[in-house]
Amino acid sequence: MVDLLTVGLSRQSADRLAALFDTHYDRLYRLARRLVPTADAARDLVQETFFRIARAPSSVPTDPAGEEAWLVRVLINLRRDDWRKMVVRKHHQDEVRHSTPVRTDHEAAFVARATVWHALDRLTPRRRAVLVMYELEGLTIPAIASLLGVSAITVRWHLSKGRSELSRVLRSHGGESHGKC
Amino acid sequence: MESVSDVLRDADPLRHEAPQSDDERERVRRAVLGAASDAGALSSMPLGTSRAALLAGIAVIVLCVVAVAGSKMWSGGSATLHAAAVRFEVRLADEAFSPGLREARVQGSGTLVYLRPEIIVTNDDISDSQVIAGDTPSRFGIAVTFTTAGAEKMRQATAGHVGGLIAVLIDGEVVLAPRLRSPISASAVITGDYTKAEAERIANGMRVR
Repeated sequence: MVDLLTVGLSRQSADRLAALFDTHYDRLYRLARRLVPTADAARDLVQETFFRIARAPSSVPTDPAGEEAWLVRVLINLRRDDWRKMVVRKHHQDEVRHSTPVRTDHEAAFVARATVWHALDRLTPRRRAVLVMYELEGLTIPAIASLLGVSAITVRWHLSKGRSELSRVLRSHGGESHGKC
Repeated sequence: MESVSDVLRDADPLRHEAPQSDDERERVRRAVLGAASDAGALSSMPLGTSRAALLAGIAVIVLCVVAVAGSKMWSGGSATLHAAAVRFEVRLADEAFSPGLREARVQGSGTLVYLRPEIIVTNDDISDSQVIAGDTPSRFGIAVTFTTAGAEKMRQATAGHVGGLIAVLIDGEVVLAPRLRSPISASAVITGDYTKAEAERIANGMRVR
């Protein structure tokens, strides 16, 4: 039996999309901002996430936790696609920035932050997301595992690898002390 | 010696940037909902990047079906069949016979529809097709995005047929014939009761010219 439910972006689907946006935009923006270099890029990434969801709002789970997990995974997967394209270029930019002389305290602080954030660009988006969720959002390992749809062991592995990769990259950048993991 | 946590917190852009304004949030909201509701959203799209322009141009129209017996259609579906062409057509259809129309039975339902002779879009009008998750973890559907030309054909054909039927044919079989509630343009999602292998076979086959 084939039974039609809706054709077109029905009122119900449009309302669902709007509700998803209103509920999850801020959370997704915060995560996106910590995964990409600029605020504009974060907004683009979140917008792209909702465009992807808009193709089939009915596919998104209806419980709040399921909704969030679904959206977070879409966002990270989209980021992964872009990350693969830019990783080589970013590597070159990092080298150029590293050679830039620092003249003032303000500049030094800015460059230090930029160095950390560029170091994060070396991590895969999923690993970076794990690090961000654990270290900055304060989520527990089981919560991250649930959000990403992976096991707690996988989250711990990403966390460990992410920390060590970040420390290694920062040390190679002239390294102030980032040895403790 | 700073820990990774300290380093990350110090460098966190959200600590050093002004909170996102309500205007920015609203701009994104309008872009998303506008593009999703109709193709006209393209002209009012607020974000100026080329990527956003491309994505905002994809007005999303959703065809949702529950195809309880759909899996029977492609009982041979498997990874070995992914590259095989799948013939995809969309036609307008009517509920009552009139001269020039061809009777067809909707797969799995027994419902009769009467197909109009003109084909609106075919495989050549598809720019992308993807497998998407269905309503249950083990069932999948197919999202179809039309080319610009294909979207225009769909828009022109369906604009004057709202309230009537539109038939989606795969390999000559009518797999669904929903009633049009609004014009369709840039894309469609067929959420059916397909296994992943079946959905992949169809999605991949749709792109074979």
